[in-house]
Amino acid sequence: MFALQVPRLRLGLAIAAVVVAGCMFFGAPTSAAPPSEQEMAARIDALLAARWKQEGVTPAASASDAEFLRRASLDLTGTIPTVNEVREFLADTSADKHRKLIDSLLKKPTHATHFSNVWRNALLPVDANQVFFGGDNGFRSWLRSQFSQNVPYDKIVTDVLVARGQGGQVGPALFYTALQLKPEELAASTSKIFLGVQIQCAQCHNHPFDHWKQDDFWGYAAFFGQLAQPQGNQQFAAMVTDADTGDVKLPESEVVVKPKFLAGEASEDGVLTRRMRLALWMTSRDNAFFSRAAVNRVWAMLFGRGIVEPVDDLGGKNAPSHPEVLDELSKYFADTGFDLNRLIRTLAATKAYQLSSASDGENRPELFARMAIKSLTADQMYDCLQDAMRRRELSAYTGQPGQQFAGGFDQLRQQFLARFNAPGQGTTEFHSGIPQALMLMNGQVIVQATNLQQSDLLGALDAPFFSDDDRLEILFLSTLSRFPTDDERPGATAHLENASNKRQALSDVLWALLNSAEFALNH
Amino acid sequence: MSIIRRRDLLKACGVGFVGYSMSGWLPAFANAIAQDPKRKRHCILLWMTGGPAQTDTWDMKPGHANGGQFKEIETAAAGLRFSEHLPKLAKLADQLAVIRSLSTKEGDHGRGTYLMRTGHQPGGPISFPCIGSTLSKALGSADAELPNYVSIAPYEAFNRAAFGPGFLGPRSAPLTVAATNFFQQPQPQQQQPAYAELGVDDLRNPGVDRAQEDARLALWQSLQDGFLKKHKSASPVAHNTVYQRAVRMMRSDAAKAFDLAEEKGDVRERYGKGRFGQGCLMARRLVERGVPFVEVSLGSAGGGAFAWDTHAQNFPTVKSLSEELDAGWSALMSDLKDRGLLEATTILWMGEFGRTPKINGNAGRDHFPAAWSAVLAGGGIKGGQAFGKTSEDGEKVEEGKVDVGDVLATLCRALGVDPETKNISEIGRPIAIAEGAPIEAILA
Repeated sequence: MFALQVPRLRLGLAIAAVVVAGCMFFGAPTSAAPPSEQEMAARIDALLAARWKQEGVTPAASASDAEFLRRASLDLTGTIPTVNEVREFLADTSADKHRKLIDSLLKKPTHATHFSNVWRNALLPVDANQVFFGGDNGFRSWLRSQFSQNVPYDKIVTDVLVARGQGGQVGPALFYTALQLKPEELAASTSKIFLGVQIQCAQCHNHPFDHWKQDDFWGYAAFFGQLAQPQGNQQFAAMVTDADTGDVKLPESEVVVKPKFLAGEASEDGVLTRRMRLALWMTSRDNAFFSRAAVNRVWAMLFGRGIVEPVDDLGGKNAPSHPEVLDELSKYFADTGFDLNRLIRTLAATKAYQLSSASDGENRPELFARMAIKSLTADQMYDCLQDAMRRRELSAYTGQPGQQFAGGFDQLRQQFLARFNAPGQGTTEFHSGIPQALMLMNGQVIVQATNLQQSDLLGALDAPFFSDDDRLEILFLSTLSRFPTDDERPGATAHLENASNKRQALSDVLWALLNSAEFALNH
Repeated sequence: MSIIRRRDLLKACGVGFVGYSMSGWLPAFANAIAQDPKRKRHCILLWMTGGPAQTDTWDMKPGHANGGQFKEIETAAAGLRFSEHLPKLAKLADQLAVIRSLSTKEGDHGRGTYLMRTGHQPGGPISFPCIGSTLSKALGSADAELPNYVSIAPYEAFNRAAFGPGFLGPRSAPLTVAATNFFQQPQPQQQQPAYAELGVDDLRNPGVDRAQEDARLALWQSLQDGFLKKHKSASPVAHNTVYQRAVRMMRSDAAKAFDLAEEKGDVRERYGKGRFGQGCLMARRLVERGVPFVEVSLGSAGGGAFAWDTHAQNFPTVKSLSEELDAGWSALMSDLKDRGLLEATTILWMGEFGRTPKINGNAGRDHFPAAWSAVLAGGGIKGGQAFGKTSEDGEKVEEGKVDVGDVLATLCRALGVDPETKNISEIGRPIAIAEGAPIEAILA
């Protein structure tokens, strides 16, 4: 057994090297160099503006600098800026400060952490953090290291597709064990996430109205048909590894289906494993699905909805709101070697990303004529609360290479996420209900945040050299990332001035800020 | 597609009880049924944390070595016998249908809890909602003053997902009362209160008095108004609505539903002084006020974190838990009956699995999902009977083997909810509330 295993493993590694080299070859720009970030951003703006004109729609005004800073911080690092960051950004008079901000946000450790949370939620079922999976810390740590080095997107996806090892370990293998190594689940999940194609409806029968047939589904699933299957009930602790043999059959039949690419030809078994062949095909520059699905997803992360909605169903039925934007961005993403940070810099440099979210009610979100208001994810909400009360260091991941997340062992965080997670639901909806509102008004997290003895923020504000006006500004800056308006100052100042207990009055203002819609939403 | 049998059609179109709502069929008619105020239905789940021993409660094995120490007693229903430690429930046995042939496949607390509460094994791409979330969504109305799903004294740490709304999202999550968290230290009590104290979790911040709360809410309101004036889109408006309702809960009469001090001493006594008994009393008050789904957990605190998990010293523990169960459940059923609410309220009793018929070396019983019992009672249920049968030694099911899906589908039918009602999961796949065959023999 062992004697056979070792040479095979070596061969596997050698082939993996070939695969990586192959990807680099495929990923290398073959056509003219892609446009610059500024050129591409201007092109997107021109296409959006042409549509507004055609529809007779006036776009919103630009967001204020403070709004832009908060929005970009939440989108790129998952949390709000510090008081000093707000002050510095607002004081900065340079013309390119927005661009510089995006660059600096992408370099922060919190950027990799946030993206690992977002992609973990896209890739894994929400319950995959359970003990019987070994937890999801190893998976998130691996994702984090990819984003902190800006590993090209095709390489990340390749590594997920050819993952080996144990689910609970550092690495992408949990993607397989969380789906119990089932070819049909892996087929449905990878095609949806990486290709934006929903083929699972064809699993049981040919769908009368859909493009995909049962053979397409099982031909695609056959690429996962040679995973070594665990015995009995052990799939959660299973090793993910390729077997030499294995086939998938049509349901309730003995008909073996050979691996076949979607909308493509059959793939003969040979020296590469089936999963490697799938990875090569999927991440190829010639695969139109791959780049489009990624671009649409990243667009939705910044703009609140995809150019195609739902974000993971690009297969025909759902027309893109801006077909040219999607086409040109997909080509651009492929031509830049699937550079995620460059794609984000480009989208964030558009005028569209800088539009205000203010709205008088009428709304056509698919025109992107104003910024969508996004609900914070459970992770974002928790981190914002921690940061607003300056407690992040107690639970934070510092970003040192090799260090694992502490998050999995932070019980307060786990409890919070269990209450606030909204798997698979759109970000422009507000998901919470009464129990969540009660938790934010009266629960442990908020009690700690506004506790007169425990809160570092309230303690710091007690310093005698601050005026009440200073204190009010700091509270607003540390929660809403802006100064209080002229309308807001008198009421809050009166509350501070009339209070017999200053600290308690400050905690009241902080409580109101943390429970406001403005804090709970990314606008 | 579900097959609609002639009998169901006749039932639905005829007079009297309608047990099957026909999704996609005769929509106007089905709608009229759903909107009939008299048809407001309630469900109470009595959840037994840790896995209760069927051989010492509902499926006794007298005369066999596996039978244990307890005696069997007669009940109000001819031929149906329970443990001697369930005397009050025995008097109400004409309302109870015992399922003695439940057979499941998960013998681990976390996985079994998920299976029984969602109807599905854990793992895979879908995060399934628990039955409380799906049924409260089906039975409740979105803008009711009280929450549609209240969970009293749950112990969630076995498997948090099993107590949650899954893909239905946070709005279908339960409001919890006195939830126990594994990592929470028990509060040392200065003096033992006369009755277990049950309060809605996070209903108030103990360090903040009414005047300070007023001041905070006034500050909050002005911030809200400023933001909403400029952002008239759906999510800020939804945020504001949810907060208004939560504040109303904190301050209005509605919250009195949870205040057991309004009940007379002899009533509180009758239900039992512990968390389960007082939880049953709270369940009655909530059902009276129209809450469609209430669950009360037993075995989650007091006598240890998961008291039904009797690997050792099974008998004294099961005796005391049975006494708690007997008092709380019987008082609840009698009171609901007196108020004319029992026929609109279906009760399900179960845990995550049963326990080994064979008694181990520590006078305990271990995890046993192969052959065990659940109980249905009240509205829509034909009581006074046991369904299915286990072997003389209790080791296997001999007649009428059913799975969790069958039990949940039966519960749905008793409540007048079509078990085939679909919700869309996070991966776009429609998921039925319960997948299984309703047990016709115990449906009224």
